[in-house]
This record gives sequence, structure tokens and C-alpha cells, in this order.
Amino acid sequence: MLLLGFAVGSAHPVAAQQSATPSSLNVQQLFATTCGWCHSDGGRAAGRGPQLMNTTRSDDFIRFRIQHGKEGAMPAFGSAFSDADIDAIIKYIRALKPDQQ
Amino acid sequence: MKKTPHGLIAGAALAMGTILISPFTLAQPIDTARIAAGSPNDWLSYHGSYKDWDYSGLKQINASNVKNLEVAWIHVPGKSTRGLQSMPLAADGVLYYTGSYSRVFALDGATGQLIWSYFPELDEALVARQTHSPYNRGVALGEGKLFVGTVDGHLIALDMKTGRVVWDVQLQNSQKLTVGFTGAPLYAKGTVVIGSQGGEWPGRGPIYGVDAATGKVKWTFNTVGGTDEAMKTWGNDTWRTGGGGGWMAGTYDAATNTVYWGTANPAPLYDWAGSDWMKTGARPGTNLFTTSVIGLDLDTGNLKFYHQELPHDDWDFDSAVGEFVLLDRNGQKYIVHPNKSGYVFVYDDQLKVKNVYNLLENSNFVKSIDPKTGELIGRRDFSEGKQSEPLCPAIDGGVSWNSGSYDPETGLYYKIGNEWCIDLTVQKTTPVTEPVVQLNIGANFKLVPPPGGKIYGHLDARDPITGAKKWEIRFPEPPMASILTTAGNLLFVPDSRGMLHAYDAATGKELWSHNDGTGHQGGIMSYSAGGKQYIAVVAGFGGMVSDDFAPTFGEPYKSMPRDDGVLVVYALK
Repeated sequence: MLLLGFAVGSAHPVAAQQSATPSSLNVQQLFATTCGWCHSDGGRAAGRGPQLMNTTRSDDFIRFRIQHGKEGAMPAFGSAFSDADIDAIIKYIRALKPDQQ
Repeated sequence: MKKTPHGLIAGAALAMGTILISPFTLAQPIDTARIAAGSPNDWLSYHGSYKDWDYSGLKQINASNVKNLEVAWIHVPGKSTRGLQSMPLAADGVLYYTGSYSRVFALDGATGQLIWSYFPELDEALVARQTHSPYNRGVALGEGKLFVGTVDGHLIALDMKTGRVVWDVQLQNSQKLTVGFTGAPLYAKGTVVIGSQGGEWPGRGPIYGVDAATGKVKWTFNTVGGTDEAMKTWGNDTWRTGGGGGWMAGTYDAATNTVYWGTANPAPLYDWAGSDWMKTGARPGTNLFTTSVIGLDLDTGNLKFYHQELPHDDWDFDSAVGEFVLLDRNGQKYIVHPNKSGYVFVYDDQLKVKNVYNLLENSNFVKSIDPKTGELIGRRDFSEGKQSEPLCPAIDGGVSWNSGSYDPETGLYYKIGNEWCIDLTVQKTTPVTEPVVQLNIGANFKLVPPPGGKIYGHLDARDPITGAKKWEIRFPEPPMASILTTAGNLLFVPDSRGMLHAYDAATGKELWSHNDGTGHQGGIMSYSAGGKQYIAVVAGFGGMVSDDFAPTFGEPYKSMPRDDGVLVVYALK
């Protein structure tokens, strides 16, 4: 329940992409179904994959990695997500804050 | 689709009993009787024989001379993405094993020299989209052929002698769910059985029975809602996306023509229904036949009997992991089967519960399991949100998918237990059925130590039926690989740091160790070639559980490759 506040606001607005349709992706749910398998605690902690909260990687890097994956580590999601979807994922990552008990 | 000629094999059968001169000269046909007999010179199926003992009857290498064990040869398969996870097999002095991407190698067992190799052409775009890929855990042998599954949904039969493709069938449309085959197939009496990945994906987790001669599908059994009765255990038609699967090889009992198989968890892994799970939540009901052990008729695939180890599994504690250790004690048949939760179930040959015991110290998903009935007592079902207390064991499992070992000389069952937990936040999810991002976990989580303690692993030596513990050996990080016992009173444990240990099987005293250079998380077995005993083990780390080691333990895992591997074969000086 505590998590619900985090997915929306972002301190670092992502540059607008020229996406035809806005994303309808629920990124928080996406982490609870798929991404969180490796990016622990909704991306807040290192697990099988790296911690995403406070990442110093650029938006371009993150976008490339989501689209193309990394062999033997991360699947390629290029065929799954539109540019707008990836914008929403980057926005979620930039807004991540430590989990408060 | 032609059967390969067996001239060489038939001729060779006449010469049995003499010393092997070169590979194949004395090859006898591999049939069900030979696999069941489990000749100590060979390792003919995933667990050595249908008994699933992971035990070798060879004793040339034994407790008194193991100090002279040294590397005889190694083989580097290359492109070991997510390490090496496979169990080598051996027949008539030839070793067969797989690397990542289902690359198959046939090697001279005495020298390691290549006899043939086969690299299937996989759908690379699909492989790039997969999460649980591209490792392969082993092959099956039978009727002069080697059978191997692929992560893009194929089952392939190769001529054992040449590596030539005899048949290649696509059993699953992996484009839809991105799942295929990583586990070893099982061969018995003209049929090859292989189970699909499943669990986290919105499918029905099929197990296939395929004609070994032609590759034609004889039967398919859906582990999710596979019978009319089972469909009723999925409220709101959730059987359509129920998960399941059977991603590790089961075994076969010729006496009853029964295939025993363990099934995977339902999806989503974590449900938000709390204690009202029979009526509400993500998948209302008991969710048959997920997290179950099932007995199928080999010829028809019809369900004969089953036991659901964890009704409405809310913890991702598959029954797909683990061996079916077939035992006979005082004329009573027993089957010992570890569940991923760390509980070990003991059945009769019709999967009726005879006993249940727990390998773990830290376990709180249930208070206990009734050893008489198998009923879960004090189960912990989750509501949405952050759980106040860590869940133990962790999603990584109270036991690994790799095998324990039973030694008929000591009468002990050796099995590794893992002590770790997760912080868990359960979230409501909706299954995604289009071929995009389809895992359905239903929670966020993080690996944590047990409350008030540290993460560790322990190898237990127990009575397989009663579970009484004779002794244990502790490891700072859980060993992830299979273990082996031999008639030489030896117990081999390949650990996660890369050390291969040999212990006195009776006492647990360490007798020898050697560094294989990188972490172990695959098979270990023994065979004979040219009258000499060998121990073969795969090293090479990485994958769903191993990838948690670097953030959890730091070095040596931080710098340990996750894309490398080697087959190391030992013999006496």
C-alpha cells in the first residue's frame, strides 16, 4: 500500500517523445509482474539485476537497454513497448524513493 | 524421419563383457531395461537410472585413494551464457552433455576428444526476449538416439553415433509465451517425455509424450486444468492463464508403466486473496495440478494418481524441482520427493503420503505439514501490500532444482537445504496474455537473511524415509549444484565458489577438494571408460538463483563470470 504514491510524480520530467499514442502502461504493476523478478523491491534494490533507484545511467542508455536487453541477463523488450511506454518506465525509475516502513 | 541403422549396435552386443577398445565398438542398445538396471559403468538418464539415486556403483575411486584424484581432461563448450547447468550422461565410454543454447557434445570418455557436436539453430530474436534462457539442463538417451529440448520449443533426436538429426519437432509455439524447454527429457519404452517451462507465464504448462522413433506427439498433459475435475479448481476460468509446467525431468517405473513428474507453481506466484483464496483473488481454488506430483500412464498420458503438495501455492514453491528417489524398504515401495519449500514428501508408489519432513531451520510459509496426511497446517496466505515478516524460505527455494543423492551402502539421503528469506510486497496484477511482457509474479521482493541470522546452506545426511538427521555440513553460501555418492564411500559436493569437495559418505569427513575455477550449479556424475573410473562435473555460474549471489555475498561472486563454463573430468593419478 505504501508503494502507491511513488509511480506518479517525477522530479525529472522525461523529454517528450513523438509517440503517436500515450502510454497506457501501469509501470508499477509491470514491476510486480515482470521487471521486479530481477530489479528487486520494485527497482529499489539490487537483485539479479542492478538497483534502478538513483541510477546514474542516462535516459538514452536505459531506453537502449530496455529495447535491446543484455544477453544472458536482461530480455529485449523492443517489440513489447512503444516509445511512450519506455518514457513511462523511465519516469517511474527516476521517481523511485526508498521504501518507507 | 527414418530410423537410423542399428547394425553397429547390434553387432556390438555380442562382444559385451570385454574391454572397451574405442568408443561405440561395444555399444549395446540403450533400452528401458538397461536404464532401469543402472549399470555402474554408465550414466544413462538424468539421475543415473530411473531410481533417481544420483549414485554410481563404481568404487575404483574410493575413500582411501581419493587424495590421488586429479584432472584427467577438461572440455570448454563456449558461449556458456548463464553458466553450465547440465547433467552429463555416459554410455559405453562416451560422454554426452549440453551447454547453453542446447549445444550438444559427444566426447571420448577417456580423453575428452570430440566425437561429434551439434549446435541447433535457435530463433535468436526469441531467445533475446526470454527471461529463463538460454541454459539447458540435459539430454536423454534411448534407441540409438540422443534427445534434447530447446528454449524455442523444439525436441530434437540425434543419432548417438554421428550427431546427425534424426527428427526435429516443434512441440510448442514459443513465440506466444516465450517459453520452451530447458529441462532434460526422459526416455522410456519408445516414448520421450518432456515438460515445458511454465510457472510464471499465463499458459497451461504442458507435458508431452513423443514417439521416440518418429517424433510424433503421442499425448499432451496440461498441468493446469488437465482434467474436468482440475478445471473446477480454477475460479473465474483462471486455468486459461494458470502457469504450471514441468521443467525438470521426472522418472519412470517399469513395474506399473508410470511416469512420475513434478509440476511447477501457479501464476501469479503471489496471490492477494489472503485466507479467502478458495473464493477470491487471482486464481480462486486449489489450482490443480500445479505444485503437484503426478503419475501418468506412459503410453496414453492419462492421469493415474497425484498429490498436490501445496494446494493453492502462494509462495512459488514448485514441485517441479527435485528427484523421485525410488526405494524399497522391507518390501514396501517408497518415493522420496523434495519440494522447493524444503519439505521432503515420502510417498508410496501411488503417491499416497507416507511421511513429510522439513530440511530447513528457517521456514514460515506454513507452521508445519502433517506427516500423516500431507495437509498444510497454519498456512500463511497474503493480502495486498507489504508483509510484516519476511517469507522463509526465499523465492530462490529451500532446495535448488539440482539433485540430492541416495547411497544404498550408507542408507542415507544427502540433500542441500538453503536458509534465506525475502521481504515481500504483494500487489494485484492482471495476466498479460498477448506475446509481450508476460511474467506474472504478483509482488515485489528482496532477498534477506533469516530473522536474527545469516544466509547459509547445509548438506544434510538423513534417513530418506523418516528424515532423521545423522549429520550436516554447513556452507557460507548455499551450494547450488547436484551432488553425487559412489560405492567408494564417497560423497561429492560441488560448491558455489567453485570448490569440488569429496567427503566420507558415512561420516561427512572431508577427504579431498579441488578448485574448478568458477562456481558450480549443474550436474556431477561418474562413469567408466576403458576400465577406468571418471568423475565428471560442470562448472559455470549464472541464472535465476545464482544471479542473486553477487549482490548478496559480494566476492567471489561479484567478479565471477556469468557467461563461462567448463566440463572438468577427474580420474586417479
